[in-house]
Amino acid sequence: MPGIISVKLLDAVPTVFLVLTLVFVALRILPGDPALVALGDYATPEQLALFRSQTGLDAPLWQQYFSFLWDMIRLDFGQSLMQHRPVADILAENLPYTIELTICATLIGVVFGIPFGVLAAVKRNRLPDSGMRIFSLIGYAIPDFYLGALLLIAFALNLGWFPINGGGDGFIDRIYHLILPAVTLAMVKIAFLGRLTRTSLLEVLSKDYMRTAKAKGVPRSKIIYKHGLRNALLPVVTGLGLSLLATLSGSVAIELVFNRPGIGETLINAISVRDYPLIQGGVVVFAFFVVLINLIVDIVYTLVDPRIRG
Amino acid sequence: MTTSRREFLVQSGLLATTAAVASTFGFQAAQAADNDTITIALASRAPVGLNPQQTGLNGGDNWAINQLFDTLVKPPEGRWAVKPDEFLPSVAESWESSADAKTWTYKIRKGVKFHKNYGEVTADDVVFTFQRQLDPKQVTANKVFYSNIATCEAVDPMTVRFTLKSADPLFNGSCASTLSVSIMSKKAFEEKGDGYNTDPIGTGPFQLQSFSPTEGLLLTAFPEHFDGPAATPNLRITFIADTTARTLAFASGQVDMIEGVRAPGWINSMKQRSADTIFDATAPGSHNTLNINLTRKPLDNLKVRQAIRYGIDNAAIAAAFQGIASPMVGVIASQFAGSVKVEDLPPELQYKPDPAKAKALLAEAGFPDGVTIPCYVSQREDYASIMLMIQEQLRASGINLDLKIIDHTTFHSDNRQDKNGLALYSSSFPPVPTLTLASQLAASAEVKADGKGQGNYSHYGVAIPGIDDLLTKAQNEPDFDKRIAIIQEAEKKVLTDLPLLGIIALSYVIARNPRVDIGYKVESGPAYWSLAKAKRVA
Repeated sequence: MPGIISVKLLDAVPTVFLVLTLVFVALRILPGDPALVALGDYATPEQLALFRSQTGLDAPLWQQYFSFLWDMIRLDFGQSLMQHRPVADILAENLPYTIELTICATLIGVVFGIPFGVLAAVKRNRLPDSGMRIFSLIGYAIPDFYLGALLLIAFALNLGWFPINGGGDGFIDRIYHLILPAVTLAMVKIAFLGRLTRTSLLEVLSKDYMRTAKAKGVPRSKIIYKHGLRNALLPVVTGLGLSLLATLSGSVAIELVFNRPGIGETLINAISVRDYPLIQGGVVVFAFFVVLINLIVDIVYTLVDPRIRG
Repeated sequence: MTTSRREFLVQSGLLATTAAVASTFGFQAAQAADNDTITIALASRAPVGLNPQQTGLNGGDNWAINQLFDTLVKPPEGRWAVKPDEFLPSVAESWESSADAKTWTYKIRKGVKFHKNYGEVTADDVVFTFQRQLDPKQVTANKVFYSNIATCEAVDPMTVRFTLKSADPLFNGSCASTLSVSIMSKKAFEEKGDGYNTDPIGTGPFQLQSFSPTEGLLLTAFPEHFDGPAATPNLRITFIADTTARTLAFASGQVDMIEGVRAPGWINSMKQRSADTIFDATAPGSHNTLNINLTRKPLDNLKVRQAIRYGIDNAAIAAAFQGIASPMVGVIASQFAGSVKVEDLPPELQYKPDPAKAKALLAEAGFPDGVTIPCYVSQREDYASIMLMIQEQLRASGINLDLKIIDHTTFHSDNRQDKNGLALYSSSFPPVPTLTLASQLAASAEVKADGKGQGNYSHYGVAIPGIDDLLTKAQNEPDFDKRIAIIQEAEKKVLTDLPLLGIIALSYVIARNPRVDIGYKVESGPAYWSLAKAKRVA
């Protein structure tokens, strides 16, 4: 296992380097002047020049690039151009909200999605299967920001069961603020995982060894859960990893609709005002999570499928 | 005792439901009982800082700074002071100007206390505040507003004197009452350094209790304010960028006031939700003007510019905003001194909307089949909606705008590089009559392709000279009324040459729950106002 982790981490180095380079280049190509955003339309050319000089924006691009890489190696994300605070602080404030949202939505997705998928596969072409397929279609078709707004109006505004917005303060309050956003994101996950589990399990159930097990008189529940589901989970684990990444990066719409703090919302704002250090720091964090989640998926793979270990 | 799985699930479900219901009722009760707190939600994502001179501050920050700080003098509540005699004492109890309006002396009120035991305001604090704006080595917000100040010095511990480079009979409006020279505690600033941005020390009716980038700002009444403590003990300033989220927060009663959306239809949709919602709106708010690039063909042709002017119906555009906009005549909003009225203008400068005449002018200019003008505009709701209406109106006159809608930051950056042929520009000028001319029309502010110019996107003063003479004349005139007469002359020149068209003045709007009374009527002013008298009345 440690060998696998080391290899995967080493594999990630060129990926992260490439991402950093792409982000640096993309930001410099993107039109828009951070100095003008910070100082406003009435700023004189002298003030704009002074701002650029103080923030290092007037240095030659190659110098800015190497300085950026050196800072990243030391995990020094620098100072936000607009918020005048360390980028690390800003990310540290917002990241927990995104992580808790992602984890909570994924947990709900797994807890409901996989059993629904199993039920649909086992009861193929019957009512639970039809229900699952219709739910999947709806889950895929409704954009999460729209669903979020609908849930807000129904459960927060009209029924008053949940808070309208914010991230909450303190453990209980944060969970209270997390429920609606997490359920919104989880709906798509349930649809995705349910459908994936159903398809995968149906395929496994049609295999010869399953028929053999049945012929040998192995109980049905054991066939499904021990032999069938375990094999069917391989593509589900891959899908779950991809879904987790999509949730992490795509939570911005939910953060906006529910006015939750979060890394996605912070990054979107940073892009709109061309806050280069904050964007760069945020992308590094995302790159780290991509590597981490891929690593976890690989580890889970080895646990689920003994053939990989071999 | 054993518990079956079914019993466990049922019991767990009941427990969870009970907890959820209990917390729900608890939440609602807390909201209903909290009459000591007023909450306002602004259309920004998070607080940036509360140092009044910090760059990049957003609307929510400005609202907070306005409650936390005082300026030397202040306008009357709920409106701009547009004439020299309309300003009121604040940190300064009195002031006087020299006959040439180049020297202004302020007597500081005794016993004005800074928050959190940072002592009383002295001339040193005032000089410190202004010197930061005058120091060319310091990057501060709105520095250009103070470029006419030559020196700022303490005459004695309670007297400050300003010497100006040129006369300014409205110095109280142009410099002494602006947010970016709110009086700061020198001692606190030097002690806290960068920390002052999140833990500011001012003299205002509220002091900062907490600054949270994720939860917003909590302010508490300052009991020792010289005008008495604020009417409500707590003021919460929250940041909700998304329009739907902000509107839902207001509809649910979670917040008392929200920043409005400056787009057609919003006021009516809010009224449909709740007919008794109060809308506090400033008039003029922002001035929306159309810069015509005089160096581009066919815009260098006066007849084409006249055709554009005749093709745009300002009143119709204003009407689309349903009561939060007013049509402009010249380039200065009609509520401000220096503006011109239609009835005072000769017929040829009144430009009553007339598409047929616009078409005839285009034909005279050599474009009988009409013209196509490439241009771009910001995606921000107010910019885009105004420009789309202009595009539609001009189509009837044979003028086709090849319009692209782009990101707001790119829009401003590209404008600064002289890339736009027709640049709509929204500016929130205080009622200082020379500001529009100096920042949008003077030769010294001409835009440059290398980005080193400023906000004169039409190249007026260079492509068509003459305006700078009038501006200099106005800037050297110490008498306010005579200065206004010169500005009006300049307005007529601009209406003759048409480098810049006034379109509409668009209000800044706050929707307010009727359970809150702010203590006065909002008529005009900047995009923030005092909540010192605000209180729950229901």
